[in-house]
Amino acid sequence: MPERIWRKPLDTEKVKRPKAEIHIIKDQCKGCGYCIQYCPKKVLEESEEINARGVHPPKVVDESECVICSFCTSVCPDFAIFVVEKPCEKGC
Amino acid sequence: MAENKTTSKKVEEEIRIGVYVCHCGLNIAGSVDCEEVAKFAATLPHVVLAKDNRYTCSDQGQEMIKNDIKEHRLNRVVVASCSPRLHEPTFRKACEEAGLNKYLFEMANIREQCSWVHLHDRKAATEKAKDLVKMAVAKAALLKPAEEIEVPILKKALIIGGGVAGIQAALDLADTGYQVYLVEKEPSIGGMMARIDKTFPTMDCSICILAPKMSDVGHHPNIELLTNSEVIDVKGYIGNFRVKVLKKPRYVKSDCTACGECSEVCPITAPNEFDAGLAIRHAIYTPFAQAVPSTYIIDMNLCLNKDGVIVCDKCIKACEREAIDFEMKPETVELEVGTIIVATGADVFDPSALPNYGYGKYPNVITSLEFERLINAGGPSGGKLIRPSDKQIPKRVAFVQCVGSRSDKVGRRYCSNVCCMNTIKDSLLIKEHWPETEIYVFYVDIRAYGKGFEDLYKRARKEGVKFIRGLPSEIIEDKRTNNLWLIGENTLLKEIYKINADMVILSVGLEPRKDSEIIQRLLTLSRTQDGFFMEAHPKLRPVDAATGGIFFAGCAEAPKDIKDSVTQASAAAARAGILMAKGKVTVEAITPIYFAEKCKACGLCVKVCPYNAITLNKELKRIEIVEAACGGCGTCSAECPFGALTQNHFTDEQIIAQIDAVTEQDADKKIVAFCCNWCAYAGADFAGVSRMQYPPNVRIIRTMCSGRVSPKFIERAFARGAAAVLVAGCHPGDCHYINANYHTQRRVELFWKRMEKQGLRKERLQLLWASAAEGEKFASKIREMQAIVESVTPEEIERAKKVFEKALGGS
Repeated sequence: MPERIWRKPLDTEKVKRPKAEIHIIKDQCKGCGYCIQYCPKKVLEESEEINARGVHPPKVVDESECVICSFCTSVCPDFAIFVVEKPCEKGC
Repeated sequence: MAENKTTSKKVEEEIRIGVYVCHCGLNIAGSVDCEEVAKFAATLPHVVLAKDNRYTCSDQGQEMIKNDIKEHRLNRVVVASCSPRLHEPTFRKACEEAGLNKYLFEMANIREQCSWVHLHDRKAATEKAKDLVKMAVAKAALLKPAEEIEVPILKKALIIGGGVAGIQAALDLADTGYQVYLVEKEPSIGGMMARIDKTFPTMDCSICILAPKMSDVGHHPNIELLTNSEVIDVKGYIGNFRVKVLKKPRYVKSDCTACGECSEVCPITAPNEFDAGLAIRHAIYTPFAQAVPSTYIIDMNLCLNKDGVIVCDKCIKACEREAIDFEMKPETVELEVGTIIVATGADVFDPSALPNYGYGKYPNVITSLEFERLINAGGPSGGKLIRPSDKQIPKRVAFVQCVGSRSDKVGRRYCSNVCCMNTIKDSLLIKEHWPETEIYVFYVDIRAYGKGFEDLYKRARKEGVKFIRGLPSEIIEDKRTNNLWLIGENTLLKEIYKINADMVILSVGLEPRKDSEIIQRLLTLSRTQDGFFMEAHPKLRPVDAATGGIFFAGCAEAPKDIKDSVTQASAAAARAGILMAKGKVTVEAITPIYFAEKCKACGLCVKVCPYNAITLNKELKRIEIVEAACGGCGTCSAECPFGALTQNHFTDEQIIAQIDAVTEQDADKKIVAFCCNWCAYAGADFAGVSRMQYPPNVRIIRTMCSGRVSPKFIERAFARGAAAVLVAGCHPGDCHYINANYHTQRRVELFWKRMEKQGLRKERLQLLWASAAEGEKFASKIREMQAIVESVTPEEIERAKKVFEKALGGS
């Protein structure tokens, strides 16, 4: 079906996408950068700040992009990051 | 045995040719004096009998030939009538019935290539017809009987494309009892018909009547369905094709029950192609509810795991059947089939090429295909016709016809066949759901030509659909409301109109698939000027490809509606079935003749053979030829520098005899043309069928491929004083014999260099690529060459004669 697709689908609101809440335990991070490297949606990047271990922990670029695959949690050697689903507000 | 020997000796001693000059009613006799041609034929060497008659192809005509063969002991027959592409098989059969080997028959084409193209010059046409008969008689005297080899046909078929045409062909063949492989590129079969809401003129629900057929295909014991797969290689020939199919991974095993739990949890979304992008789907999805196979598929371009690391395992966790397998790899399946049906369908025109209609810019301008998904209950709006801008139901709707069809400027020249009726059907669908809607149809002509079509058109008019003749010149959007103004001229009332509509539907035309070229190359097919696949004969072999064992069904051949696609699919299945039921086919005896004593085992023929039918035996210093694999192009014979190869039925001696016959008289005013059977010769025939007039000084010698034209033929023509020579074949890339015409090009270019070196004008040798549909290209080439012929001086003729003098010896 090689037609050009250019419109925004008309039924986007039909699909409910859970909203993510990303928690970073900054001082537990040793700055390995795995979470940044492996995030499939490129939600994270290195921050400017320096934590207790003297490294730059990650920061969230765009939380709404996160699809809660939780791969960051799986690859973090220091248990320094986890994601939860935001509680549903106003029948999201 | 002894007696046989004496008979065959006798044949060699005495050649008895019968010539039949056909009037073809007035088709030939209208511009050629057939009686005079017959009288002339009677004076030619070996001719024992020459007759003219009204219709040689009629039963009486054929009976006459058969009787004469017996009565006058004819051992060669020449019929001067239409193109051998039309009636050679008819007359060959008649000869065989009278006990004469069919390879002892020859034809002179005095209709398509003479009477029809010189309608207003009876004298010149008659002279040309005499020459053509003389050439045919000269060749006939050298014809040899030949036996055809038999090739077995595998009782398995490949169908490329799983739209309604492919589905119908697959079911018909499978029901007959043959093994069928159905290859579909998309994840599901169904094609365009699955995307359409209702069908015209009966207003049946499209998917409701298609889904049972799709399901039959899925369950049929004789059908192997290969979806998400593409044909990547085809080798072999009629009856024995070896096909490679790339089966792309689905990443979901057939254990899938299509419960959809995986899709629910998949975090990735994208527009669904099946819904023309109007609805959303997930990275793991099924394109539509009735898909066959129903197994889900993962779009690896979207999936988070595309880099080979399982980043997201939501679908894996959701699938109770554990059907998801990210380890699946692409796989190449090798098939052996006897016949192939091409049912690859068509694309729709992209109207953003017409900026005046604002498609892609104004949200409420949609295509007819988008309309189908909007009005369909399975579509993104649940069957509610809504405007994309505000999701409101439109009160005034306008349809614009011929978008991308019947246009010389943007889009295609041809009529797309289905759009008029589709719009009428669509307008009635709107009226059925929202009777108050005002509907305008802007058209050029309404073509309601089929069974029940006119009734539907009348019904639409009765329901109040307004038909306005004259397409809008422009569509302008009201930025505030997103409503649209259509401005144009009503050509019936000669008035300017400016009509406001909430929504505009562009009735887009059909065009050849963008990937047609791949199939064309793989199967060595030809295409018409419009880009659709070309049938072997437009009237009498409408579903056969020119390549043996290959057939067409559906829109791959030309735009057509569902009924015509299904009809053609059944026809293609029947044609393929005939071959497979017979189980064998004879191959034309136009294979190479090998003179081992002349062979130096240089291997040039091995290199040029497009079919790898020749191998070099280094130990024995000779070549070996696999006749069944030979396509019969004759390129090997043209390539051999030692004369160790020639082609059956197109031998060097026969072609040289034709050249000599042409150049016997007034050679300095003539063009000797070598035309390949499939493109250039067919193109010259087409010029005749279309009555395109061109100068009468050209004499066409037919070869199967332009690759057969040996440089020594060109030398011979110039050495005999010909004014000009034309070598004509299929377009590069379109060669009926895969790539043989590249050798033609190389040889002609080399010949030009030789001419330049010898101080000869290279314009006297012309190379033309003309397809079977390009009659006008052929005719204008002859007109162009006429100017060259007129400019050639006697000195130039003499010079060429001298340069190529050597070619006269050793014929």
